[in-house]
Amino acid sequence: MSGKQEEMSLDKRLALVSFSKDPEPFIEVDTKLCQKCEKKPCLYICPAQVYSWQDQLNYNTEGCMETGACLIVCHKIGAKAISWKYPSGGKGVSFKLG
Amino acid sequence: MSLEGFEVAVVGAGPAGSAAALTLAREGVQVLLVERGTFPGSKNVFGGRIYSYALKRLLGDQWKDAPVERFIRKEGITFMTVDSSFSIEYEAKDPKGSFTAVRAKFDKWLAEQAEKVGASLITDSRVDDLIIEGGRVKGIIAGQDKIPTDAVIACDGTTTSLARKAGLASILEPEEVSMGMKDVIELPADKIEERFGLEPEEGAAHVFVGECSGGLRGGGFLYTNKDSLALGMVVGADDASTKAIPSHTVMDRLRNHRKVKRFIRDGKTIEYDAHMIPEAGPKMLTRPYTGGMLVAGDAAGHLLNNGYTFRGVDMAIVSGVAAAQTILEARKRKDYSAQSLKAYERKLKEEPALKDMFVFSKVPRYLRNHRLYSVYPELICNAAEAIYRVDGNGKRKIYKELRAQTKGKVSTISLIRDLLAGARTF
Repeated sequence: MSGKQEEMSLDKRLALVSFSKDPEPFIEVDTKLCQKCEKKPCLYICPAQVYSWQDQLNYNTEGCMETGACLIVCHKIGAKAISWKYPSGGKGVSFKLG
Repeated sequence: MSLEGFEVAVVGAGPAGSAAALTLAREGVQVLLVERGTFPGSKNVFGGRIYSYALKRLLGDQWKDAPVERFIRKEGITFMTVDSSFSIEYEAKDPKGSFTAVRAKFDKWLAEQAEKVGASLITDSRVDDLIIEGGRVKGIIAGQDKIPTDAVIACDGTTTSLARKAGLASILEPEEVSMGMKDVIELPADKIEERFGLEPEEGAAHVFVGECSGGLRGGGFLYTNKDSLALGMVVGADDASTKAIPSHTVMDRLRNHRKVKRFIRDGKTIEYDAHMIPEAGPKMLTRPYTGGMLVAGDAAGHLLNNGYTFRGVDMAIVSGVAAAQTILEARKRKDYSAQSLKAYERKLKEEPALKDMFVFSKVPRYLRNHRLYSVYPELICNAAEAIYRVDGNGKRKIYKELRAQTKGKVSTISLIRDLLAGARTF
């Protein structure tokens, strides 16, 4: 095989990363506020697409890489709907090659 | 482990935290190094390069045991349009000045060096809050554990909740942070050496500017590890959000560019990482100290992207050491008040490595000029195309060709202004 680089979806890339699920919620969104959010910046900044929109804001923290960028853009550009902290000790993402 | 009797708690076992803990422990201070990941480095991501001097200063000859991937022999930059590119490459006299590394190995190793001289490391532990009494930081709270100490050094990264809790920072502005993403692509060592023109153990660093960022403020990078490549993009958080371009999609632009494709061909992606990068510099905190607490590393904005060198780990180590030295002096005086710890600020300003942040303090503003990411890379590529192309239709002299290329793309005034500002900024 030569010259070909495999095409890979974001989901497949995220599947390469180890996560340990935190039973406690570490991201919580007051999704009522999102209804009035004009720019919805969280949809664009998250490199793991934790946030998605289908009539309302949906979020799935399982692929969260803990960058914390969603908090910043939500509070400064968005509707101040996201509360965010790191997952509990030892939980969340674990990079082997970062 | 009993959590009593520690004089200093260092929060975050990244390069700043481990360097601080090591410096303190060496002087016999009882120091607790707290890490929220399952091991130091497990939460950390960077582009890929560490400047060696900081490690040499910290460890002397022992720095040679560091888990180095490759020493950087070649520095490259590529300006790109959709279908063309213009590259410059520099081959360094001595590659030992910087090296690529993997944080899961490097940070783990550095924390071990701190442990060797007596620091106590606990992992899997998130610091939730500070103990604050009489306006002074008196320790940390991690889950059920209240850990009283004389002083705290917060090395808890870009989102630094501790600096916020101590009232030294508020939530950063979107234009003050960037999103960094990278693929780690497995490739045999001999292929890397052949492809990049390297000897064994030597590495290359490459920066990409132009089409790859899709008009967003930012750029791409590529570093060679031993048997993998780190290929990534950094984009302005404000830009991606307000222009409604999903940050991860710019990675596709980079991956699919002809120039990049040839570098990563036949490689196998083995990890995808992301991390937020503070770009505001030291001004992200009102000040890096308060009674009983100092802030170092990313958490204090101690890093520098001046457009052509990207420095985080070296500056984190240097600032961690400066914080530790401040604590050592305060300990002699038995005074950890804000007044006593104020010496940290002066130390940071006098430290030659950190001074670079002030030398290049106007860079972030300069780098907000969008022409740098669209107009200029295109101009460079189109000029090269015109200079090198011979099609029998007549050629113009280089100067005339360059002038012709700028027509309709950028006004002469803007061009001169950008050049002059560039000369002052860099």
